[in-house]
Amino acid sequence: MAGEIRPKSKEELEEMKIPYEEYCRKAFDPGNEHGKPGALTGIRWLSCTMYIFTPHSAANLAELGAEVIKIEIPRMGDAMRHTSPFNEAYLYPLHDTRPMTGTGFGFLNANPNEFYLSMDYHIPEMREVFYNLVRQADGLTELYRPSTFDKWKMSYRSLSQINPRFIYVWGGGFGYGPKVFGGSYDILAQAHAGFASITGMHEHMGGHATKSSNWVMDWNSGSMIAFGVLGAIHWRRKTGLGTMIEFSQVQTAAMVTEYAVPLYGRFGIVRQRWGNWDTQLCVHGIILCGKSDFPDAQNPQDKFDARYVMVSAFQDRDFQELCNITGQKQLFDKYKAHKDRVEALAQVEVYLALEKWAADKTRSQVVKALTDAGILAYPVMNDREVYESPHYRERGTIRWMDDPLYGDILNMSGYSTGHLSKTPRKVSWIWRPVGADNVKIYRDMLGYPLSKVEEWYAKAWI
Amino acid sequence: MPEKRNVEINSRQDTLALITPEIRPWPVSPPPSPEEVKKFYGKRKAEEFCQWLEDTVGFQYSWQKPEALHGFKVLDIGLWRLGHKFVSALLAQAGTETISIEPPGGDPMRQLTPFGREEYMVADKETGEKCGLDFIHEMRNKYSVTLDVDTPEGQELFRKLAVHADVVIDGMLPGYMDERGVGYRQLSQINPRLVYCWVGLKGQWGPMKDKVSKFGQWELDPIAQAVNSYIHNTGFPQDQLPRGKGGDPTRAGCWLADYVAGTQAAVNILAALYWRDQFSNEGQFIEVTAAEALMDILDFDISWYGFNASIKGRTGGWDPNLNQYEWNPCRDGYMMIGGQSDRLWYRIGMCIERDYPQFGRLIHEDPFLKEVGARNALHALIKTYSVTTRWLRDINRIQAEEKLMDYEIAAGPILYIDETCEFPHFKYRPWVYTTESDYGTLLYATSNNAYQQRAPHRLKWMGRRLGKDNYEIYKRYVGMGPTTVDELKGKGVI
Repeated sequence: MAGEIRPKSKEELEEMKIPYEEYCRKAFDPGNEHGKPGALTGIRWLSCTMYIFTPHSAANLAELGAEVIKIEIPRMGDAMRHTSPFNEAYLYPLHDTRPMTGTGFGFLNANPNEFYLSMDYHIPEMREVFYNLVRQADGLTELYRPSTFDKWKMSYRSLSQINPRFIYVWGGGFGYGPKVFGGSYDILAQAHAGFASITGMHEHMGGHATKSSNWVMDWNSGSMIAFGVLGAIHWRRKTGLGTMIEFSQVQTAAMVTEYAVPLYGRFGIVRQRWGNWDTQLCVHGIILCGKSDFPDAQNPQDKFDARYVMVSAFQDRDFQELCNITGQKQLFDKYKAHKDRVEALAQVEVYLALEKWAADKTRSQVVKALTDAGILAYPVMNDREVYESPHYRERGTIRWMDDPLYGDILNMSGYSTGHLSKTPRKVSWIWRPVGADNVKIYRDMLGYPLSKVEEWYAKAWI
Repeated sequence: MPEKRNVEINSRQDTLALITPEIRPWPVSPPPSPEEVKKFYGKRKAEEFCQWLEDTVGFQYSWQKPEALHGFKVLDIGLWRLGHKFVSALLAQAGTETISIEPPGGDPMRQLTPFGREEYMVADKETGEKCGLDFIHEMRNKYSVTLDVDTPEGQELFRKLAVHADVVIDGMLPGYMDERGVGYRQLSQINPRLVYCWVGLKGQWGPMKDKVSKFGQWELDPIAQAVNSYIHNTGFPQDQLPRGKGGDPTRAGCWLADYVAGTQAAVNILAALYWRDQFSNEGQFIEVTAAEALMDILDFDISWYGFNASIKGRTGGWDPNLNQYEWNPCRDGYMMIGGQSDRLWYRIGMCIERDYPQFGRLIHEDPFLKEVGARNALHALIKTYSVTTRWLRDINRIQAEEKLMDYEIAAGPILYIDETCEFPHFKYRPWVYTTESDYGTLLYATSNNAYQQRAPHRLKWMGRRLGKDNYEIYKRYVGMGPTTVDELKGKGVI
């Protein structure tokens, strides 16, 4: 009968009784992911991609258990391999022939668990090899300018003839339309779609349109592709037919601007930046404290910047308590209703008063005073503090891993994308050198003799 | 010419009726015509291919095609946050039948409006009930049902609905559903094929799990952005702007971590459904948090700390990994330019040199700047961008874009929302589009999965009055007629 819960065994009965938090921990069981199956077992995906955006679409599939073959330019590889913060973090080698060149950390997390094939598609002889890959794969992601793959007879119109179940994704900045050949990067998506115009301090407060430090629109668009691909795979289960997805990254940034687009359409009002405060809730913002938590630290990020607190007390009783303990009772009397204190000028007054109160305090003093009073407050954490946080450690979302080639790597990705109780995501290796799996794919999977593979290698076709 | 009218404006209120889409339609100027766009296709002799592309994946053909996830049923219950709302909207746009469940009083998010201004809320045409645009924007293709899971009758009803569901999305506090006997461990007993996904801020378990304040207030983004180092790393450094006047760690304008969690939850849910349908016939339990999902995509930042104890700092509109790859001020705003590989690096220079011949001498001939990796040093960024900005300061965004497009550089202006909505490419696709909703004509950002050959995602409706679908849903899935629904409404269960 619907609605009735009857445990089927003694173990199940026990499971129903344990405290919820413990139940979750047991269900997700961080550290033992490799003892469970992969959700996308059997899916084989080709990744003709570079940078972050399109690789991340395949990375999502690879973390979920699909077999992903990353195809790179021989001896050169993905341009992102040559990217590293301030040119300082590299792992070696890039390729057999280039032991002194490494792969930079810019490449990290975008291509885990994949098999690394190299191939020069410009060579007509290699095209038939590529078609053989397509015959044995479920789909591909590519990022070349529109019509490039078509000129090489590798667009969806050619490949769907060979493999009607093939799912073909083009990922780029714009897609058909006047800016069809416009190249794109994460930063362009942030700029073009209005996302940057609403991020940062208001210009009356001295601010400028602000770039998210990270390539968030690249990464998030990659996940959006993975979502589209999985939808297409479900649809293919029913119909047996592949599809083409034309995916524009700039659009992703427009989708996450909250009410900005409907507000413009309905009222002609252009959403502006509102800095570290919130346009719809008050108090729900970041304040600057007078003193750093680590005045004697060596690293300037600790020494000068451990001074910010995210404070959230927008409901009436929270706001009242916040005013009480910060000695600003007059503010509560003035702004009893949320509607009044969320108005722009009221926000300026409230946050300035809070910063004045915090002027002689350190960040941790502020967090402690507020938390002790039952109010929500968190320090704005830096990378070191996130690394040291026991929360992420216990949940397994930040962990040291033993990479088969590169040894100890601090992993922050993959497991943090979501916990799945029966088919968890996994990170088995971070990457491999360019063409590391050539023999595995060309000989073992496609059946080309080793002599052929060696010949291609000598000619730098692979 | 539009007809001239006499209007008297005494307050902001008087202006609002003058700019509705009925009076000032979107777009203000028409989108580019197919003939104009063909000229752009001709630049790479790709007219035929691009025509095939438009015919194959064009937005206007969406309605002639089936829906990818037709047949899957999704229940979404949650309050206050965008994460669970975004994932259920994504699934609904891909074709699932999605039922959004709110308590009888409604999700408080319906009341949120910028700066508390009620005049920016919109009214349901039938009842006049007002709703904030933020909620409406995430209420895409979803049915609205009310249910109080605090009551035993409500719990019973939830279980009856969950029997039919393929997916339950839980956006409540940790353990809230479980305590009421409607969490994963109970529902999986009655529906073993159920995929149950909790979407929250930091976690259902662990030392920093989601909590409420002493007075019951929920934790909301950008708290998630604060505890994963996103905020610390974003914004202008003190060397560029004074602290307290723009040179501070900066949150994203939107609740970004929630959105990212929503995207990743959608991916995980579809993967779990695939595993169920293809292999196991079993559902499972998923947990996605905003703080971790965003942390997943913070490039390599935490790993970099593990590599050599570097703590990333802020670099404003620049990027520490790439040169050129930045935005800088120009005459009327900011201009983004990108191109890191040698090929693009020199092409940017060729473009700038046309107007400003010094660029080549100062930048391309500088031996230090010839090496791709070396160009990322801080002083190299400062030099490159100072000289580039010397060029930009004399021209406006559109001029800069046209010049750089001639060299096929990835470049574009920072657009404000109105400019985004009116940008020719956006109108042509369209990436911004109108829908006639229960709340009148609304503008929205279209789905980026809407451009597909077979089963594109689409918007069917946006916004839904609270409890609009109570009668229909309770009849279809619980077999309960309107009399009982009204009775339960009277008791506050529905």
